[in-house]
Amino acid sequence: MTPTPGRTVLLGPQRFLLTAGTVVQQVAPDGPVAVVNAGWQEREADDGELQEVLGGRGSMLRLFARAAEVVEADPALAEAVVVLRTAQHELSALYERRLAHALDALDDLRRAAARPDVRSSGVADAVRALRDLDTWFLDAVGQLYGELVASGVLERSDVLRRHQEEVERLLADAPVLAVAGGHVGELVRLLRLFRVRPRPEQHVVAWSGGAMAMTERVVLFQDRVGDQDPVGFAGAQVWDRGLRRAPGLVVLPHARRRLRLDDPERVATLVRRFADATCVLLDDGARVEVAGDGALPPGTRVLTPEGAVGVVGEAA
Amino acid sequence: MSRPRKLAVNRLRERVAAGADPVASVDRFLARRTVPVVEGRFATFVWRGEADEVMVRHRVVGLPDPLRLKRMPRTDLWWVSIELPEGSRVEYQYETVRGGHREEYLQDPLNPRVAHGPFGASSVCAATGYVVPDWTRPDPEARPGEVVGMRLRSRALRREQELAVYLPARFRRTRRYPLLVVHDGYDYLDYAAARTVLDNLVHRDEVESLVVAFVPPGDRLVEYANHAPHARFVARELVPFLGEQLPLVDAPRARTLLGSSFGGIASLSTAVRYPGEFGALVLQSASMVFTDIGDDHGGGPAFDPVVRFVNAYRARPRRVVERIHQTCGVYEPLITPNRSMVQTFRDVGTQVRYAEARDGHNWENWRDRLRDALTWVYPGEQKFVYE
Repeated sequence: MTPTPGRTVLLGPQRFLLTAGTVVQQVAPDGPVAVVNAGWQEREADDGELQEVLGGRGSMLRLFARAAEVVEADPALAEAVVVLRTAQHELSALYERRLAHALDALDDLRRAAARPDVRSSGVADAVRALRDLDTWFLDAVGQLYGELVASGVLERSDVLRRHQEEVERLLADAPVLAVAGGHVGELVRLLRLFRVRPRPEQHVVAWSGGAMAMTERVVLFQDRVGDQDPVGFAGAQVWDRGLRRAPGLVVLPHARRRLRLDDPERVATLVRRFADATCVLLDDGARVEVAGDGALPPGTRVLTPEGAVGVVGEAA
Repeated sequence: MSRPRKLAVNRLRERVAAGADPVASVDRFLARRTVPVVEGRFATFVWRGEADEVMVRHRVVGLPDPLRLKRMPRTDLWWVSIELPEGSRVEYQYETVRGGHREEYLQDPLNPRVAHGPFGASSVCAATGYVVPDWTRPDPEARPGEVVGMRLRSRALRREQELAVYLPARFRRTRRYPLLVVHDGYDYLDYAAARTVLDNLVHRDEVESLVVAFVPPGDRLVEYANHAPHARFVARELVPFLGEQLPLVDAPRARTLLGSSFGGIASLSTAVRYPGEFGALVLQSASMVFTDIGDDHGGGPAFDPVVRFVNAYRARPRRVVERIHQTCGVYEPLITPNRSMVQTFRDVGTQVRYAEARDGHNWENWRDRLRDALTWVYPGEQKFVYE
């Protein structure tokens, strides 16, 4: 008999509005809750409040601490991880530089004096160039992971295998997996290293960065750079592949704080660039239950191709 | 449209001229205001006391220096109003003449706001819109890094060189850190709040956890003015020494030199002498004085080697680092050469981030630009964090 597919609920940031406990209770009233809060990094063990919210049911997977133990015990693996991280950051720096030029080109074309249809054609192709860059980056990252796997260093690591097996057992016992936010780069790396994959029938409740990790590709975004905010790349960039539990979505937590939603052109570019997915806003208090076919419930706030914020189920 | 209100000092002048008690009026005027009096885009400097002449000394390019104050009839109040663009910050001192005796470098006795530097303190006039950045103030939530003293014997400089090394909070020997070498290092610690800034920016994930070597100069005007032994010390002695003592990323992209004024020249000239050894430079109001024709650069003898170096570089510019973060105050005489050098650096393929501030050649200007510089040179992981 085919098991009933598990529910997938994505939530907004939980720092000031703790709804995760209620939602977990609704989707899985009994049994342990497998918890990943590796995005908190050094604060991973500081989970008292989270345990309280989960009614003491949390079965903490402790991926960050496990990773520290693995790299301590296995120097060859530690070195391979450093090499991978360094290469990914170097690759990312090149990607950012290419993106910056591509975004400048797009802006330039938008302002160009030309026949509207000619200009539109140029703009559309410039957006395609952004997509190509995203694809190039993700493929190149995939190749780096491929090199790591092919090196055999993961397979040879007894300490890693022991931790992977422990994590697998904890996951197998839990009807629900809860994934907290934090450093999403670290989170997806550790989910992959310890082979954390929710079973099809296992419920998933993930919030903020944790929700991003449940999508096909993790998209980092920060429009607000400049006088009041730290310098950095202004715009969106893909970083890695996620667990694909919520396919067809680009998840944008803290959108109000990080995106310039009052700039329709900028928003429209984001939507067109990720046109194969729906850009979902996950601000404080947001709750989005993703159906098995990827459908979104009414009331979900999304970005529209016109560069506005729309609501699923409401007429445009 | 409402008529602009008269400046407070003009209203005071009118009241006193109309017969109001001059002493009580001035007392009340000063009691109700901070000094200098900033109203919209104007700032009024006031000084109270007996004198024959009172002047503001400020070194702001474009304004008369000295800026003479007028005495208000029937009072002992001296004043002058100037236009001060939004966001400006001006450091100044008073100069007075009384009975033929001139007194210089006086702080404004009516203004408690003071900036410190190696040559003493100056009073500060902050225009409308200028706010001391919150990240320059101690944040109790920011875990502090540690500053440790080190010494090394320098063959290049023929002396024992001391330095202060900043290790970030949660420093671990199993990690690798990028390096920032700061010229005039102790002044950055004492006058530019460098330690607090680093603690805050690292805590907020705006800047990568990094190791910073704060290095003081010996004979500054010699060693920082394109001096081969200094460059050799930095590139061939200091960097390898720190690499042996600390877990540093062993790559040019993870090595940055920072300096202001002559320290900017020390940074640039070291990179020119050792191209490819460093990934980035942070040049704050660098003394990049040059001549296009003739040799009258106006900087005095101390600038002669600097001008020779900058002229030679401009004659044969080359890409010696990948990136340069360059800033200058628009009220400094150095603003023109700094603007010119941006294009020179860009023409050879250097990535340049250039910013100007309505400020002068001083430590608080350089402090206020540190966030922009450090987040650009060594960006933190904030873009990854979605709590």
